[in-house]
Parts: sequence; C-alpha cells; structure tokens
Amino acid sequence: MDTSSALSLALPIGLGLAAIGSGIGFQGAIGKAMEAIGRQPEASGKIQTAMIIGAGLIEALTIYAFVTVFLLMGKIQ
Amino acid sequence: MFSPSLTRMFDGLAAMRLAAEGHADSAHAVVSHDASHAAAAHAEEHAVHELPNWITLITKFMQDSPAKEFLHQWEGMIWALAIATLIIVIARLAARNPQMVPGRLQNIVEMVVEGLSNFIVGVLGPEGRRYVPFLGTLFIYILSMNLAGVFPLGKSPTASPNTTVALALCVFVYVHFIGLTRNGPVGYMKHLAGNPRSPVEWAFVPLMLPIHVIGEIARPVSLSLRLFGNVTGEDVLLFAFCSLGVTTLAFVDSPVGIPFQVPFILLAFMTSFIQALVFTLLSTIYILLWLPHDEHAEEHH
Repeated sequence: MDTSSALSLALPIGLGLAAIGSGIGFQGAIGKAMEAIGRQPEASGKIQTAMIIGAGLIEALTIYAFVTVFLLMGKIQ
Repeated sequence: MFSPSLTRMFDGLAAMRLAAEGHADSAHAVVSHDASHAAAAHAEEHAVHELPNWITLITKFMQDSPAKEFLHQWEGMIWALAIATLIIVIARLAARNPQMVPGRLQNIVEMVVEGLSNFIVGVLGPEGRRYVPFLGTLFIYILSMNLAGVFPLGKSPTASPNTTVALALCVFVYVHFIGLTRNGPVGYMKHLAGNPRSPVEWAFVPLMLPIHVIGEIARPVSLSLRLFGNVTGEDVLLFAFCSLGVTTLAFVDSPVGIPFQVPFILLAFMTSFIQALVFTLLSTIYILLWLPHDEHAEEHH
C-alpha cells in the first residue's frame, strides 16, 4: 500500500473515530447540563456558560483530527 | 499546503533577503520560481475548496500581474481589514452623537455592548469591567469575520490559520501582560510554579513549572486551531453542498443548482456564533486564571 492510498483510507477513519469520541463526551457534558437546568432552571445562565466552555474543549479534539486531515490531504495524489 | 499564503510569504521574505544581500539575479530566480510555484500552490490550494468571493471574482477577470498576485495572496487580510473598517464605522456612527433617548442604531449597539459587558462581568466579577473593551471587541470582530463567509460572495478571514493565530497571539500576550502587571514578576513566577506553599509543593516545582509552561503554550495553539478548524469546516461544507446542487442539475444544463446548502447555512450561523462565543469565553477564563484571587489560584489548569 503506498502513502496516498494509506492516507485516503486512514484520514476519514481517524476523523470518524475522533468524532465518535467527541460525541461520547458531548453526551456526558450536555446531558448532565440539561439535567442540571431541569433541576434548577434559575441557574440556567451559569450552567449554560460552563457547558459551552466544556463543549468547546471537547469539540477541539475532533477539530485537531480535522486539522490533521487538512495537513495530510496534500500528500494524497 | 497547510497555508500556501504563509509559505509564499516565507518565500517572499527569502527573496527579499537575497535582494538585500545583492544577489539580485538569484532573488529574481526565487521570485519567478515563486510565481510558477504560485500556480501549483493555487491548484493545491483548491484541494481545500471554498466558495468564490468578491476578490476571486475580480482576480478571475484580471490579467496576470503583480496586483493579481497581491490580491490573491492577501485575500484574507483584505477581508479582515474591510470587516474591521465596517465595525469601526458603525461604532463611530453610533457613538458620534449620543442621545439620552437613543435612536435606532445607538439602541442596537448599546444593547450589544451591554449584553457583552454583563456577560463578561458575570464571569470575571466586578473588576472585570476593565477587560470588557478587549474581550467585547474580540467577540464582535470574530463573529463578523465568521459570518462573512456565510453570506454570498463573502469570505471568512478566520478560515485561514494566519488570522486565527494572530488573534490567539493577541490574547496570549494580553493575558500574560495582565498576569505580569497584576501579580508582579514574583507572583507571576509563583503562579507558573503552581503557587507552592508547603515543602512538598516546593519539591514538586521542577515538575509543575514545565507542565504549566506547556499548558500556557497549548492555550493559543488550541484557541487558534479550534476557530480555524470550525470555520474552515463550515465553509468546506457549504461548498460541498453547493457543488452537489450544481452537479445534480448538470445533465439539463441548468444555470442554477438546487440549493442543497440552505439548511447548512443555518448550521453555519449557529457555529459562527458559538465559535466566537467560545473564543471570547476561553480568553475570559484565561484572564480569570491569571487574576490574583486566592479562590481561583488553585483551580483547573
């Protein structure tokens, strides 16, 4: 297997795996935040702020994979 | 490939250095190599597809000239400056003649500023009001740059790593300036060493210092890559569905395609807003972590 076919196989799979990981992370973060808002609707502002920070950090992991895909995409002929 | 304009800038710098050293011929060779290279880089750049914008439309009808090369090379920069000018003009217009009973424009701008101010003060506490101008500008500027790519014939300057790295470096320098001035040099170093108090904590300083330094460096990297990745992804998605809409009607030679991208435009509005918010919020948190508060000193890093 040469480099370009290896990359064209591996890049989408890697991005997909990273997305699965982020999805699991989001499930925990947003699910708990929604529960917290349901329990204490008056604190929803603070909870949402914290949730968005967390969501940004979780999402960054997939974005790293995405940036890597961009970096290596030029190597596919 | 990652950033053709960056590499081209480096080539240009090399050419300038050669010219300064008196190797005019070799400088010329580098420049002409650069020009031929630019065509290749252009083709390569199109591996990352984006929808056309005003500048690509203009350069399409231009002869090959330095001006065309310049426009193509500094596309993102021109858009970023244009957006900054627009924001400055709107802010000037709104603040030119402040009324007790505000007019329409003043009302809108006041609403935005007050919302941002309340949001940032809510995170930083009452003394955070002095950081509102920087952080609020950051939010408005990034939001406008993200949204520019959603509108037809617009381009997001934030879809280029050059812009996002610059923004993240601004935040990095500002945050460390605040850390230095608010804590003093000794407090700054102590903060970097993890605020050691007990002898055990002092023993761990050689371990904690590199960890904190790496953590500080990782912050601008993650800030810039997150914004770049999200906005680029959004633009590539819009392009992919636009081209899908065009190719599905290609067999009847239709001049327009099916607007498959419309639902994704709504998605892009949402990501634009959320990414601007996340960038601002994380910058706020980084400032918060450097403020001399005992209750924040030991928190997450």
